Amino acid sequence: MATVTYDQATRYYPGSDTPAVDRLDIQIRDGEFLVLVGPSGCGKSTSLRMLAGLEEVDEGAIRIGDRDVTKLAPRERDIAMVFQSYALYPHMTVAQNMGFALELAKVPKAERLERVRAAAKILDLEPYLGRKPKALSGGQRQRVAMGRAIVRQPQVFLMDEPLSNLDAKLRVSTRSQIAALQKRLNVTTVYVTHDQVEAMTMGDRVAVLKDGLLQQCDTPLNLYQRPANAFVAGFIGSPAMNIREFHLVDGHARIGAVDVALSRAEVAALSRQDARSVLLGFRPESVELVGPGAGFPVTVRLVEELGADAYLYGAIEGTPESGEPDLVARIDPAAPPRVGETVHVRVKAGKEHAFSPKTGLRLT
Amino acid sequence: MAIQVEAPPAAEPRRRPEPRQLTRRERRQRRRPLLPALVFAIVLTQLPFVATLYYSTQRYNLLRPETRKFVGLSNYGRVFTDDLFRNAVLNTVKLTVTVVLLCALFGTALAVLLDKKFLGRSIVRTLLITPFLVMPAAAALVWKTSMLNPVFGIVNWVLSPFGAGQTDWTSRYPMTSIILVLTWQWTPFFMLIILAGLQSQSPEVLEAAKTDGATGGQTFRRVTMPHLRQFIELATVLGTIFILQTFDAIFMITQGGPGQATTNLPYFIYQQAFRAFNAGEAAAAGVITVVATIVFATFALRLVSGLFTTEVL
Repeated sequence: MATVTYDQATRYYPGSDTPAVDRLDIQIRDGEFLVLVGPSGCGKSTSLRMLAGLEEVDEGAIRIGDRDVTKLAPRERDIAMVFQSYALYPHMTVAQNMGFALELAKVPKAERLERVRAAAKILDLEPYLGRKPKALSGGQRQRVAMGRAIVRQPQVFLMDEPLSNLDAKLRVSTRSQIAALQKRLNVTTVYVTHDQVEAMTMGDRVAVLKDGLLQQCDTPLNLYQRPANAFVAGFIGSPAMNIREFHLVDGHARIGAVDVALSRAEVAALSRQDARSVLLGFRPESVELVGPGAGFPVTVRLVEELGADAYLYGAIEGTPESGEPDLVARIDPAAPPRVGETVHVRVKAGKEHAFSPKTGLRLT
Repeated sequence: MAIQVEAPPAAEPRRRPEPRQLTRRERRQRRRPLLPALVFAIVLTQLPFVATLYYSTQRYNLLRPETRKFVGLSNYGRVFTDDLFRNAVLNTVKLTVTVVLLCALFGTALAVLLDKKFLGRSIVRTLLITPFLVMPAAAALVWKTSMLNPVFGIVNWVLSPFGAGQTDWTSRYPMTSIILVLTWQWTPFFMLIILAGLQSQSPEVLEAAKTDGATGGQTFRRVTMPHLRQFIELATVLGTIFILQTFDAIFMITQGGPGQATTNLPYFIYQQAFRAFNAGEAAAAGVITVVATIVFATFALRLVSGLFTTEVL
């Protein structure tokens, strides 16, 4: 068990001038579950592979505990990795798959069998120890891949989208099993996913990446409540946060024909940047329907009814027509408005997020 | 409160309707388009074989066709007791086993090299495949005249700094020469099949072995070789069937000699038929070779049939 430190770690792929991972700086605590999340091509898998030693580090350093592993081969790093395709050895049985690393490390046979059996017990794999991977279901293969990692008792677990090959239902149950297992073993874990729900539910902290740059690394709740920039705000949360640029009129954001007040600090930050508009974001659940006369009018384009919730997709009246719905709002499913109707909505006080239109960064 | 759901009335379980039987006429019509191919195949492969079977029961000297008569299986008896036939069998086994082993060895080594990325890889790959593309007779001629010639051969020239004089390779080491030529010619075939095997291996499995602590050598022995095994087996079976039939190289380079030193089964049959004009015995030897090859191929193909049933992970 150990801490993991990315210290300005940078990776350029051969033949590319832009870094795939650009000066990544993260300190991961001992026993922490850190999730790397972002859209495809954001560098999250590359970051993980750099830590595994499967990808070179061109600049900067990576440390596991106090050990600088930047130049070490994967086998010298004491890490265990779970791959997206599981990468089981097809000609070995489940027991051999799980015991392979121990065999290579010359662990005595008795101890090896003991550790494989213990791991198989944790993962409910005992009946399958003699089977080959091809005789297992997808979920069982996934557990073998997990088992192969935990028998190692490594300093760090690395997981590269380990759930993306499972069906939706199994993914949800395995998600909580992995999180519980990690808490029980208390091994530092770095987990890569593109699924923000996985990131939010599993991680102690979540690091959001985009274009090789770390956007924000914080607890799930902080990411949700105080996103550092417009990208993180839009990426975390489903349906996504409504983010639009509005004109600034006398320290107010003009939404349609209605002016919405901004806080004094936000206005001050905007005037320092000499901005004439503001990027304003508000989550679907921060919007409420009000009677005519209050709030701004919205034309209903679509209503999605999910049973427990309903979502209204609408166009803000008085803004230029973009074709896309301007706003998503969570509404009471008991009395959904009809399509084509005009409703009045208001952003709940203090629930708006203001970002700079120039840098995309949070204003306060 | 428990909710009672009334079971629907038991209905007849639904059955898939019986497929409609085809009439004789329909069946015949459906087969008709296949007929030309079938006739073609029979004429090309089965008629010559039946003719060979027939000749093998005749005493039939091509120079004295009027003495031809039915002799039952005595041709087979003569072939089996013929020292020259036994010599040919032995030579065939020696030649085939050595060439296949060498090809498997070199083919694996070259395939592993070609699996790495390096500058000019596609050119190297094409060059390595070339021996397989050259017409065997032409290749044999080139080997005989410009490579192995005792006076102006390239092999002697290359070896001259190491004290090799004007060695006459084809007469002093006839079997070695033939093995050399055939190995050169068949290594690309083995290499291609094994390369296909290497490239079908999941890179993530190799990465998993790396993170599991395996060195390069351990990864090759413990992970790559088990994966390659079935590809090497396939190459070995196909290669054996092809190399058993070698004729061109022997005809061009040594004519089966000196003496009978490089006479293999195909060349023995050729000698019997077109040198001794003994068509009856040649046909019997041919039938024996075909049967032996079929027996070998059946068992060997069963051995590698795992390749076609294994689900690739």
